[in-house]
Amino acid sequence: MKKVLFWALTFLVFFTFVSPLIWMYLTSFKTNADIYTQEISKMFYFTPVLANYKTLFFKTEFFRELINTIIISGVSTVLVMLVALPAAYSFARWETGHGHLLFVTISTRMFPAAVAAIPFFMAFKALGMLDMHIGLLLLYLYFNVSFAVFLLYGFFREIPPELEQAAQVDGYGRLDIFRKIVFPMIKPGAAITAIFCFIFSWNEFLYAFLFTRNIARTLTMGMASFWASGQIDWGTMAACVCLAILPTLAAAWFMQRYIIRGLTFGAIKG
Amino acid sequence: MADHSKGATLDGLTSVQHPPGQTEPRKRAFMDVISDDKYYKWMLVIPLILVLCIFMFYPLFYCMYYSLHEFGMVKAATWTGLENYRDVLQDGEFWLALGRTGYVLCLSIGAELIIGMSIAVLFNREFFGQNAIRGMILLPLLIAPLAVSMMWNFFLQYDFGIVNLFLGLFGIPKVSWFAPGTGLNTIAAISIWQWAPFSIFVLLAGLKSLPRDSFEAARVDGGGPWYVFRRLTLPNLAPLIMIIVLLRTMWLIRLFDPLYGTTRGGADTELLDWQIYRNSFVYFDIGRGSALAIISLFLTMIICGILFRQLMRALSGANR
Repeated sequence: MKKVLFWALTFLVFFTFVSPLIWMYLTSFKTNADIYTQEISKMFYFTPVLANYKTLFFKTEFFRELINTIIISGVSTVLVMLVALPAAYSFARWETGHGHLLFVTISTRMFPAAVAAIPFFMAFKALGMLDMHIGLLLLYLYFNVSFAVFLLYGFFREIPPELEQAAQVDGYGRLDIFRKIVFPMIKPGAAITAIFCFIFSWNEFLYAFLFTRNIARTLTMGMASFWASGQIDWGTMAACVCLAILPTLAAAWFMQRYIIRGLTFGAIKG
Repeated sequence: MADHSKGATLDGLTSVQHPPGQTEPRKRAFMDVISDDKYYKWMLVIPLILVLCIFMFYPLFYCMYYSLHEFGMVKAATWTGLENYRDVLQDGEFWLALGRTGYVLCLSIGAELIIGMSIAVLFNREFFGQNAIRGMILLPLLIAPLAVSMMWNFFLQYDFGIVNLFLGLFGIPKVSWFAPGTGLNTIAAISIWQWAPFSIFVLLAGLKSLPRDSFEAARVDGGGPWYVFRRLTLPNLAPLIMIIVLLRTMWLIRLFDPLYGTTRGGADTELLDWQIYRNSFVYFDIGRGSALAIISLFLTMIICGILFRQLMRALSGANR
């Protein structure tokens, strides 16, 4: 009896969190008639069509948005790691700034997005950098750097300092210690941090919305544009959402062990 | 060059391991100064400090400066002192937006904690397929919030939305989910759907790491399950609950995407961040937008201070 109750509740939980996603994917294969139908039976028994994906691929800027998103997220992630890796190492190994600098770094994550949006909108306007990849890319560097530093800080602290001291005695220089001892041990942590930064940039909307129009617009902007038009094409929108969230779903599935650790800035190991 | 003596001792150590003459002595001395911990550790944070200066201090001073000016992008800025702040604080819409933000905060966090705790207790056992089920429930967490809100916007459409049709099966009349009055609750619910898994698995991690012996002892002493939960489980999970509350507060204060995907600030759902956006990028009232941004920043900074202390405590606790 207890077992039946447990599985009933588990199924309910599972249904609540998973069925909306399944429904979205089903919708993306429906014709408009099947989307607007009022009959429950027709909502489940329908002939799948690829028309929505055809519209998405050939009538909208989907591929350009996809490429823009990949470029912007990818390059900003690389920049973030270049800045955050050495800094986090320094914080973890020598307590540089006695925690104050670390505090300042993490506090940027709590800044309302508008505090950066207003000044940089004016600055980019003056510099002609609105609607350019580089502008958004730099904002994502700012947006992710504090998170990356803090998460990496946790990973670096797991490396015993004795290893480095032993290497120093063996005559390794500082650079060699980082390259040959520390980096191989931080690699998994760095990969997880990088994937998180990539996803956060991929998902970001407010800055993309304010700083891009046509040339550099990202996938989230593409999604939003369906909602902006008067007559909403729900089927194509569903197709767009389904494809845009696919990489993040894959990441969530393969990184399940690290999601909680990442989202809590490393405070909880999960 | 004062650190040359330290470099020399390192040289002495190295010459034991490697035959001398393998590296040039002069180049070594320079490298030793550079790689002395005292300078090296600061060199490593230089890029970060540069990024912070550009992206943190510049916007901060910019916002502070223009919040004290009347500036509409067309004419040159004129000094008005604290006028913008007075206008904002006397504006009913600001207090409404602040109140709504507080309401969404309390509703979402409260619901997420209750749902999270119940499901965490439910899942705190070994069962068939637990990893697969866990993985599936984690899926919503990393989806773009905008995509989530558009998805739910579609499900909650009045005429053909699946939710209304589903409720119709039970004879419940159609609900217009984004009308004034219900809209705010709907937006909170969308946020709860996406973030409840976060609470579930943070609390589950906490439940799994609880000390077994004291629970055995309490059970032997005849404590009922509710008593054990209230007196042992909850106090042990208090730091985790604190972290959930603070992180979610931090994210919810800047809630923007779900508004764009659903009501776009209409239907009495305008929150603080949307008001900043509307003032600065729709009306282009940069002075007022800046003042709002600074107020919002102050609110968040108070929370940020507590959060940081909690996080550091949790981190040092985990490493012990």
